[in-house]
Amino acid sequence: MSVELDLTPLSPLGQEATPAGPALGGQIAALALRAGSLIAFAVIVAVFAITAPYFLSVGNIGNVVGQSAIPGVLAVGLTIVLIAGGSNVVTGGIDLSLAANMGLSAAVYATLAQAGYGDGTAVAAALLTGGIIGAVNAFAVVVAGIVPLLATLAVMNVVAGIELVLTQNTVIPATTPLLSALSSSGPLGIPVLGLVLVVFTLIVGAIVQFTPTGLRLYAVGEFPEAGRAAGLPVRRLTAGAFVASGLCGGFAGILSVSNLSGSTTGSGEMLLPVVVTALLGAVFSRRLVPTIGGTLLSTLFVGILVNGFQLLNISSTLVNGVQGILILLVVSATTLLRKKEA
Amino acid sequence: MTLPAHRPGAALSFSAIVKHFDGAQALAGASLTVPRGTVHGLVGQNGAGKSTLIKLLAGLHQADDGQIEIDGVEHRTLTPHLVETLGIHFIHQDRLLVPTFTVGEALFLGREPRIAGTPFLDRRLMQRRAADILDDYFGIRIPNSALIRDLSTAERQIVQITRALLDQPKVLVFDEPTAALVRREADILFRLIRRLRDEGVTILYVSHYLNEIEALCDAVTVLRNGRDVATLPLAQTSASEIAGLMIARDIGEMFPKRDVVPGHDILKVHGLQLSGKYHDVSFSLRRGEVLGLTGLLGSGAKDVLRTLFGLDQADGGTIEIDGQPARRLDPVRAAQRELALVPEDRRRNGVALDMTVGENLTLSSLKQFTRFGFLETARERGEADRLIARLEIKTAGRDALVRTLSGGNQQKVAIAKWLSRHSQIYLLDEPTVGVDIGSKVEIYRLIGDLAERGAGVIVLSSDLTELVGITDRILVLFRGRVIRAFASAETTPEAVLAASTGSSEVLRHVG
Repeated sequence: MSVELDLTPLSPLGQEATPAGPALGGQIAALALRAGSLIAFAVIVAVFAITAPYFLSVGNIGNVVGQSAIPGVLAVGLTIVLIAGGSNVVTGGIDLSLAANMGLSAAVYATLAQAGYGDGTAVAAALLTGGIIGAVNAFAVVVAGIVPLLATLAVMNVVAGIELVLTQNTVIPATTPLLSALSSSGPLGIPVLGLVLVVFTLIVGAIVQFTPTGLRLYAVGEFPEAGRAAGLPVRRLTAGAFVASGLCGGFAGILSVSNLSGSTTGSGEMLLPVVVTALLGAVFSRRLVPTIGGTLLSTLFVGILVNGFQLLNISSTLVNGVQGILILLVVSATTLLRKKEA
Repeated sequence: MTLPAHRPGAALSFSAIVKHFDGAQALAGASLTVPRGTVHGLVGQNGAGKSTLIKLLAGLHQADDGQIEIDGVEHRTLTPHLVETLGIHFIHQDRLLVPTFTVGEALFLGREPRIAGTPFLDRRLMQRRAADILDDYFGIRIPNSALIRDLSTAERQIVQITRALLDQPKVLVFDEPTAALVRREADILFRLIRRLRDEGVTILYVSHYLNEIEALCDAVTVLRNGRDVATLPLAQTSASEIAGLMIARDIGEMFPKRDVVPGHDILKVHGLQLSGKYHDVSFSLRRGEVLGLTGLLGSGAKDVLRTLFGLDQADGGTIEIDGQPARRLDPVRAAQRELALVPEDRRRNGVALDMTVGENLTLSSLKQFTRFGFLETARERGEADRLIARLEIKTAGRDALVRTLSGGNQQKVAIAKWLSRHSQIYLLDEPTVGVDIGSKVEIYRLIGDLAERGAGVIVLSSDLTELVGITDRILVLFRGRVIRAFASAETTPEAVLAASTGSSEVLRHVG
């Protein structure tokens, strides 16, 4: 048998395979990026804690988490689409209609509440609105084959238009028992919205990070061919991600009505911060991929920045600049790292 | 399922398969029978129909005519899903694994084990079983936390094979499995294949490396021009006989040979190397000379061509163009130094499909047609018409979109595009792939014209009959090195094939 083996091809350049060798540099760089982000997070918290004594109080931290609830829910929804659509910023998964979705769902909720319908009906209608928007996105991407960036951009405009028609561009006030409960404070003075964010992330995180469905979402996003080869229903999974993201938009809509005691215009301004937050989340994962946990961390990170700047009396417009720089750093670092591996 | 008596022991049987693509015949009555529990080789030159046959078996295409029997049962239509349930699995060249997954996740994707009584993944079980299987079959250990993107090519291939083994396949189809492997890794693969055969798995092994076929297979089927020309037990044949069967001999007058007296050296390459791709490549090219370059996938031949045009940077060695050293070539500088590359994948690189024939023809020489920053459209059109006539490009006219042209005519546009610049050195990458015979001859004539005009031409081709026919000299790369140089007039396609498949190495070792 070994005689036969002598007939095998000559080794090119006489090199032997070294397991996991060539990517070692990349691994170290990825580790540095991840550790660096965590250290940066910790340093910023420390600086705020020292310079603004109130910062670390339970009340303030509760505030930060509470204020992060709405962008957090949206960013989690977007993360699902990022996972199932792949990390390519131009052709990969993105849902630009999320913020407009939240606005319309909130308007639907507030309108129904004002018209005297109960919480149950209003909640169902808001979630249904979000789900339908998600289904339209799914149809445009999966069936019509439009790039998510363009498909959801178009849907965003349609949804924003419908919201204007529904609300006549006015504030629709709403008060219901559910809304009051959501906007109250829970144990230790932590806002109920903050608890909602934590529970919501735990549930979605459990599904996305720990079930076969979640694993398949990653496969479909990262390498659809591999998904197909493994016999996965690639199109159904992609469509499901958009519907899930739409439902998150509807859910965020309900939260926003409670936060603002009604539906207001201008939800579109939430879009870019949410996109930044979701993209930023990838640095908090070992594999540099979007994760639900990473997105929660990144949401809190952004929330802490805003809060700390407010406490230090620094103009909150600076936060946008800091976010911009962060996203540039993160996206270029991850892109460079991934290029090395290819 | 009981086996019909008339075909005992055939795991796979194709009879008289015919398949057309867009009018071109890919398979013209090919038959292939693979006895159960054997390793069966499938060989043939590019375009012989190997990959079409494999794709039919995978259920990716349907045959126009003929019979496919699997385990003695005839199947009219195969789908990828049906094929899988029949126990047939494929190990493809491109490894279909998610780069950000761990080995366990990649192995179990699509059939993930759950923690009993919960909807959650049992990651620990996935890791343990992955480690056990890899250790059992390959004797290798990959850390649980390692991601697919951190693995070597061979390790990825092993993971892919392991994925197929998890399904306890009846038939495994290997499509060029060793192209990216070094010898030690290929040894592991061969040992595994023998072990699988001894365990009763039937193996169809597609490879260009005839020495591997010789060492591994029980029998081999040779395809040529869409037909099976022979099926031989390896005990009664040799690599050189197989090479002979692979090459067609019925193309007499295809090569309009010219007598050009070569001039001085226009390109000199010395000790060129690009680590992991090729090593110590030296040659020179004279004016009026047509130099052939060939080698299998992964031999480095294509990479040498890319380096010459500046698409890759060599790690070492020198390139001299017309006596001047060329350092840090990039495509812009290469074009300035009057190099022209006609890439193989012309849909992606060679022509702009949604521009007109005329625009494409003058695209790389617009400077010639520009005065005061404006295009002289009349002159541009004149040049386009001249090229269309000269190359006999079949098109409705210079204003037709290139997309509407046939493959051969698109290729002619790609070559003509560079002709209008009057380059000194032409690098042609597989210039006749996917081109009909008539267009081939015109492209050959064109290459002759270029040489006659005093240009140096390098043709990279895996069609060896063509290469021997149109070149003056041929360099053969094998696993990163120039292992043979031939004078085209004094050699045969068979000899070149033997060199490029490494079987001349075998003969030397044995004899």
